[in-house]
Amino acid sequence: MNHLELAFRNLQRRPARSILTILGVAFAVGSFITLYGLSRSVHENVQRSFDEHGTDLTVRRRGIAEPFGGTVPETMIPEIAKIPGVAAVSGQLITFAATDNDDSVLATGWAPDGFYWANVPLKAGRVPNPDERRIAMVGYDIARALGKKVGDEITLLGEKFRIVGLTDYHSIINRNQVIVNLADLQELTFRTGAVTFLSIRLDNPADQAEADRVAQTIESMGKLSVARSEGMLRNDSLFGLLTAVSTSMAWVALFMGVLMVLNTLLMAVLERTREIGILSAIGWSTERIMGALVLEGFLLSAVGSLVGIVLGVAGSKFLSSIPAIGRYVAVEPTLPLIAATALAAIVLGILGSFYPAFVATRQSPAAALERA
Amino acid sequence: MAPKPLIVLDHVGHSFDDGRIVALRDVNLSFGEGESVAVVGASGSGKTTLILVMCGIRIPTTGVLLWKGDPVTTLRQWTDLRRSEIGIVFQEFNLFPTLTASENVEVAMFGSGVGSSERRRRAEEALKTVGLADRATHLPQELSGGERQRVAIARSIINNPALILADEPTGNLDSVNASAILDLLFDLQRARGATLVMVSHAPDQVVRCSRQINMKDGQVFDQRSMPAREEVL
Repeated sequence: MNHLELAFRNLQRRPARSILTILGVAFAVGSFITLYGLSRSVHENVQRSFDEHGTDLTVRRRGIAEPFGGTVPETMIPEIAKIPGVAAVSGQLITFAATDNDDSVLATGWAPDGFYWANVPLKAGRVPNPDERRIAMVGYDIARALGKKVGDEITLLGEKFRIVGLTDYHSIINRNQVIVNLADLQELTFRTGAVTFLSIRLDNPADQAEADRVAQTIESMGKLSVARSEGMLRNDSLFGLLTAVSTSMAWVALFMGVLMVLNTLLMAVLERTREIGILSAIGWSTERIMGALVLEGFLLSAVGSLVGIVLGVAGSKFLSSIPAIGRYVAVEPTLPLIAATALAAIVLGILGSFYPAFVATRQSPAAALERA
Repeated sequence: MAPKPLIVLDHVGHSFDDGRIVALRDVNLSFGEGESVAVVGASGSGKTTLILVMCGIRIPTTGVLLWKGDPVTTLRQWTDLRRSEIGIVFQEFNLFPTLTASENVEVAMFGSGVGSSERRRRAEEALKTVGLADRATHLPQELSGGERQRVAIARSIINNPALILADEPTGNLDSVNASAILDLLFDLQRARGATLVMVSHAPDQVVRCSRQINMKDGQVFDQRSMPAREEVL
């Protein structure tokens, strides 16, 4: 027998309490992984979406906090295209649009001469001709979810669009978006001549100095903000709120788990006063007794963390399976997130077990032995 | 020739509740190596407190204890002594209910620098010594009272202590088991040359010791050497 086996035996002795504590830690770790993973995944999925379109910089109306709230006039496109270092500029109008069966989809309007078209991966059908109207290219996942195929019609904002192609992007956002002619979407949303943002492709995307210079030039034109694709959501209040709420909930869950470990060990210490007295009587030092109790805290946290990882991955898959989330975000907890969360839970669990251990060693062994 | 002193109590006193209850009062005693000493006295006379003070579970409020001539003043010193030099047998057995007999013995070797396989071997050897080789894997609740006390004795001798303190070791046992446990304790004490200090109420147990200490109201009322066992028998 070694210290680990001894700690395991003590936890086995009160199986219901140990299992409940492990589950408490597991739910805390699982919640953290899922919720924190959700907020991280939103950012990552948006970035992936822009990367797939070949966007280096995005230009938005400065000061608008909602994701699709602001507009930029299309008339700025030729002006920006003249800036040295800019290879191409395209406008995109984006909105959540009502579709069949009270469902909604992410609808994107692209100008016929936009640079995105060159990168469209086709699953089926074709890319629309520049002069075609009321036609749509539908992401493969949303097409499957809605039961649509090439040649079918899809309703957007009360108007019928004929599906001419299915796209086969990798990012979850792009796999669930419906692309239509920019003019059609502008007409249906009463935003003629306006786009949600401008996408810019640079001559040398790796040249940070050039990118900064281009951004400064655009921003000096007034009322515009420029961001790298990964910084797109930085000033967005809705995504900021989502991140703040999910992160706060995640931390609260984690600390609840730690409190459970502390409570379990504190109860165990109070119940095992006599045993702790016996350990002292047979020559266990206070450090060794503390170590044994902290080891129990470690075991509870470690096993709870392992179960929590499974719950976290399962919870992420569950969130991704909810259409309102899964169409726009693939909640994928990363390995560093999983490892950091499990490690944090274990470290906090160990720290949480120090107080009960300290309480245990402050007891007089004589008083402990005299207690029946 | 008088045996070399192992532990000496020099003007030792112990009180509770800020001095309102005095359990030991100016006790001066010396216990030699290899001695067997019976501590007797009425309930509340300070016998158990004396045992607890002699192993550092209770710290004297006055006076000092000397171990092999050196004063023992810190908790760390007492912890080290309990781990390596002092074995304690309680009336209540005080075994861990979740551990087997063998593991209950092993647990006393934690921190003594012995590896786990050697710990297991020594624990099994100790259980064999107390006649419980075939009960090593049993939990305390699966053992009789006498067997539990044997496990407690095995635990107390596992580190080859120089001093065995026994606080009414047969108090919870029937006469047959009590006699067997006493035989075992005295056999081990003699075989290992350890000092045995035993609290007892039973006259037949007291006469087996080489010295008797009578306590009354926390003080040593009287002490006398006993005739050798062979003479008694």
